Amino acid sequence: MYRKTNLSRVAAGALAAASLLASTAAFAGEVTIWCWDPNFNVAIMKEAASRYSAKHPETTFNIVDFAKADVEQKLQTALSSGTTDALPDIVLIEDYGAQKYLQSFPGAFAELSSKVDFSGFAPYKVQLMTMDGAVYGMPFDSGVTGLYYRKDYLEQAGFKPEDMQDLTWDRFIEIGKQVEAKTGKKMLGLDVNDAGFVRILMQSAGDWYFDKDGNLSIENNAALKAALETEQKILQANIHKPAAGWTEWVATFTSGDVATVTTGVWITGTVKAQADQSGKWGVAPIPKLDVEGASHASNLGGSSWYVTAGSAEKDEAIDFLNEVYAKDIDFYQKILTERGAVGSLLAARNGPAYSEADAFFGGEKVWQNFSDWLAKVPAVNYGVFTNEVDTAVTAHLPSLGQGAPIDDVLKAVDSQAQGQIQ
Amino acid sequence: MAAGKTGGLKRYYDLNGWLFVAPSLLLIAIFLVYPILRSLYLSFFSGKGMIMKFAGFGNVARLWNDPVFLQALTNTVTFFVVQVPIMITLALMLAAVLNNDKLKFIGFFRTAIFLPCVASLVAYSVLFKSMFSVDGVVNSALLAVGLVSTPIGWLTEPFWAKVLVILAITWRWTGYNMIFYLAALQNIDKSIYEAAKIDGVPAWARFVYITVPMLKPVILFTTIISTIGTIQLFDEVYNLTEGRGGPANATLTLSLYIYNLTFRFMPSFGYAATISYVIVIMVALLSFLQFYAARDRS
Repeated sequence: MYRKTNLSRVAAGALAAASLLASTAAFAGEVTIWCWDPNFNVAIMKEAASRYSAKHPETTFNIVDFAKADVEQKLQTALSSGTTDALPDIVLIEDYGAQKYLQSFPGAFAELSSKVDFSGFAPYKVQLMTMDGAVYGMPFDSGVTGLYYRKDYLEQAGFKPEDMQDLTWDRFIEIGKQVEAKTGKKMLGLDVNDAGFVRILMQSAGDWYFDKDGNLSIENNAALKAALETEQKILQANIHKPAAGWTEWVATFTSGDVATVTTGVWITGTVKAQADQSGKWGVAPIPKLDVEGASHASNLGGSSWYVTAGSAEKDEAIDFLNEVYAKDIDFYQKILTERGAVGSLLAARNGPAYSEADAFFGGEKVWQNFSDWLAKVPAVNYGVFTNEVDTAVTAHLPSLGQGAPIDDVLKAVDSQAQGQIQ
Repeated sequence: MAAGKTGGLKRYYDLNGWLFVAPSLLLIAIFLVYPILRSLYLSFFSGKGMIMKFAGFGNVARLWNDPVFLQALTNTVTFFVVQVPIMITLALMLAAVLNNDKLKFIGFFRTAIFLPCVASLVAYSVLFKSMFSVDGVVNSALLAVGLVSTPIGWLTEPFWAKVLVILAITWRWTGYNMIFYLAALQNIDKSIYEAAKIDGVPAWARFVYITVPMLKPVILFTTIISTIGTIQLFDEVYNLTEGRGGPANATLTLSLYIYNLTFRFMPSFGYAATISYVIVIMVALLSFLQFYAARDRS
């Protein structure tokens, strides 16, 4: 008898605990956020959360750290299954994919147009989260690109920082050959399974896989052609260290095996994580393509925050994003200094952190440079099928190295892409 | 016994029988039959994400014009045509060798060869990825012994990427198949071998003319499950290539393509369902062919 009572007590206790847990979870005030990269997005969101909690102690945050591919997969699965319970309140989405989610899952994300003043943000960021005149996201970081280079290697090869300014890609390759001859180091790391490098080059000339109306533009795309030609020249000059995948690619420069990195500003945190390389790096504008409309500014990646429409804490989540990301200039100074995050809130650039010199880069005013280049990034239409076309381009990168004529490659990419985007 | 007399009792047993299996049947219906039928239904629709419209056989027509699908199909077929025979032969030979009682440390060898099957698919793929990277252990070893003069691009050159995938799945699954053969070998009567020995049949002929025919049902079974496994190949290629099936789509399999169509690209559920039916048809056809080829001719 005793045992039975005891057991039922335990059961009652467990039930009570379960209902307590359930009621805590349902209690308005916990905002769940999904994002990737613990050194960047996650850390920045934690900073934002602590700023908001300081003023609104009743709001708590649950910031969940996933790999980027996992965030995307979980989001896409939950959206397609229609179970909004599985979704967080706020999710980070990479800019290339924004329109895909907005258009294929209408009504899944909260419209923010009436609640946030978007006029203060970089227009290209607001544009990519707009559908039918309504804005659905909170613009976050920019992927403005730069040419990070090892001053020590280039000096050994006979080049000064002045020689790295205003380059063309042909000149870049020449320098690369000399760097390898003098130092034995490769000029850059190239991930053969990633077309990021091609995208940087293409956007620097103001073009994309799609034209302004969202139609596929491959075969007559001069910028894409020039970008592929450049990649082919690099592959054939063999001044690159091949990498398979992101981790290997990052290792090419953290290990000191290559002399330059051309990528988005968000890599700064990773570069600076190598404390022993302090003072050895410099940042220059990226080299220029030899086509009409070419510039030294481009963009790679960058992402923004989206509030799910079915969220129980929707208003709280929107208020949080609005208060920190759309208004807190000081917040942007802190994430710039600590994480190398260049936000897309224009007013943030007048803050003190942007004009500071960085000792890691030998006292260069890198942030000032990046924010100058940000203003020059050509706006392009990412469309809804960037992932698909990117896969088609990636699939044909190896044939570039084997010397395939660019026009044939473009034709093949075009035919693969046509098959994908329907 | 007249049927009418036992009718009540028979019905009683029938009803109870059905009641006993009802929970499992219900679960099978919900989690197996419904998804299968639903995906068939889905394969007649096309569109972006949740906005779908009826497309009839549009998805089937799209298959023929999709170079990526054809590439994935070719890759998948290449993988099983090359890999399954290699693995089955290897497993059969290892089993025959390890069935020899005179061999020392037999337990150790059996365990060592079986052990890869215990490894998680993701874990061993990641391990292979690091071992076979441009400056990984394998390339360093090959360079050190002078077999190659420049590192092999295991993950950067289409041909070698295919070789790597075949190497990886062979390493993972050979021991698994070997265990089936070892078990089956225990059932072959030793007296057959003794008789053959007395008749002066050499060892290789005993293997070819006694062991292999006696193992035929098991060989058939392992060939079918290996073929199905290879057609559904996903974990290895996903982890070796970060889900891209690169380089140059050389390691893109049908399953990986289905995954990409659903989770990475603009979600195209209908088309993905169509491709999953391609796999179903392939598996059914190949299993039938293998049964047919290995049937008992009387």
